[in-house]
Amino acid sequence: MAQQEQVLIPAGSFHSILPEVKGEPISVDSFYIDKTAVTNEDFLQFLQENDSWQKDEIPSIFAAQNYLNHWQEASTPGLEEIGENRPVTHVSWFAANAYCSDKGGRLPALNEWEYSAQLMDFDSMQEMNRFSTELIGWYSSVDAKNTKAVGSTGIQNRHGVQDQFGLIMEWVEDYKPIIADELSLDCGTVGRLQQLGNTYSYAASIRYITRMSFNPKTTTGMVGFRCAYNLEDRESSKNSEL
Amino acid sequence: MRTLFILSAFLLSSMSAVAQHHHGDSATLKAEKVSEHSMYHLKAEWITHRNESVTLSQFKGEPVIVVMFYGNCTQVCPILIRDTWRLYNSIDESLRSSVNVLAVSFDRENDSPEVLKKYAEYEQLNIEGWHFVTAKEADIRSLAMMLGVQYVKKSDGEFAHSNLVSVLDTEGKVAVRVEGLNQPMVSAARKVEDMLKHHTMQ
Repeated sequence: MAQQEQVLIPAGSFHSILPEVKGEPISVDSFYIDKTAVTNEDFLQFLQENDSWQKDEIPSIFAAQNYLNHWQEASTPGLEEIGENRPVTHVSWFAANAYCSDKGGRLPALNEWEYSAQLMDFDSMQEMNRFSTELIGWYSSVDAKNTKAVGSTGIQNRHGVQDQFGLIMEWVEDYKPIIADELSLDCGTVGRLQQLGNTYSYAASIRYITRMSFNPKTTTGMVGFRCAYNLEDRESSKNSEL
Repeated sequence: MRTLFILSAFLLSSMSAVAQHHHGDSATLKAEKVSEHSMYHLKAEWITHRNESVTLSQFKGEPVIVVMFYGNCTQVCPILIRDTWRLYNSIDESLRSSVNVLAVSFDRENDSPEVLKKYAEYEQLNIEGWHFVTAKEADIRSLAMMLGVQYVKKSDGEFAHSNLVSVLDTEGKVAVRVEGLNQPMVSAARKVEDMLKHHTMQ
């Protein structure tokens, strides 16, 4: 199995719908992130080296009952059924975190993931609005049964990070942010998250709210993950390979 | 803050619902095996302010008080650490030597074992059974997720975080959660004493 390709995201800032200070952008340091989501094949390899995360071994403190339940058997995804290069789903936050840690990385921080997702270029305002409308449609009907292969959506940011939209939702390290006092997990919350007046903000609201509804043992067909890496960790692992 | 409590309460109630569901046979059948709900499943290696390595499972048979904080936190964390001390200090003196305290920093960049040692000395808590620790980033975050502690590093370098003191029972299961600062600690201390008396009777 080829090592997951990683992309360098340079430092910058972005406007979050959950800003630290209202109206102020959030700064993000440079980091590496996987180009595509972790696949069933990648995850199988991890399980072969880490027994305790296998479906029939994992303690219930780390995952809900339906952990990897799209797999044919505990030991094999059944690729002829699922298809090749499909993102692994039905994985808890704990399992995703363990996978990334095993690879010398970590889950992307929420702000890193969101920053990367916003680094998209559009030819025109119309193009951007069309994309946004599509996005809202996608969030309201993620098809967890027929997941397409990673890299197949044609959606990527300007650094080549693929499928942050249009394929699955993804775990982030701090998926349940410490949210402002005036926000609570009720139906009105979407309306109260800060609207940025740009095409992303409504879709982003849906994404933040959906994440907040998870707990770290949650395993659904809608959620997979990719890993991120600190610059210094990646440099040192490179050196040790030499 | 209110939202945090609601979210944490939700997390705890969903955890305990699962715990009850499984309780019956598995607990008695596999008495020697580590409980499905034990934090001992977290295989993290914690480096203490004495530069020693500890794991949660090595405390098997003894309760562990767990608190998450960071050293540069000058406003809230001293209160949180003092709360932890109040709990420890409320436990009957004859039992205290069997109680462990794990104070976990989520500031990996600044809180090296050396810095944590200075912190422990400054707080006059460089005492036996107390461990001020750091670990791999993913392990610190996992522990926080298991306890229901939220933290995020802000751009000014400070952390926003929940204030929680937890107690793991003699099998590593979360048995007590004290949320918020300056809370009464007596009932938590009584629970710790009960755990120890119950455990030694077995």
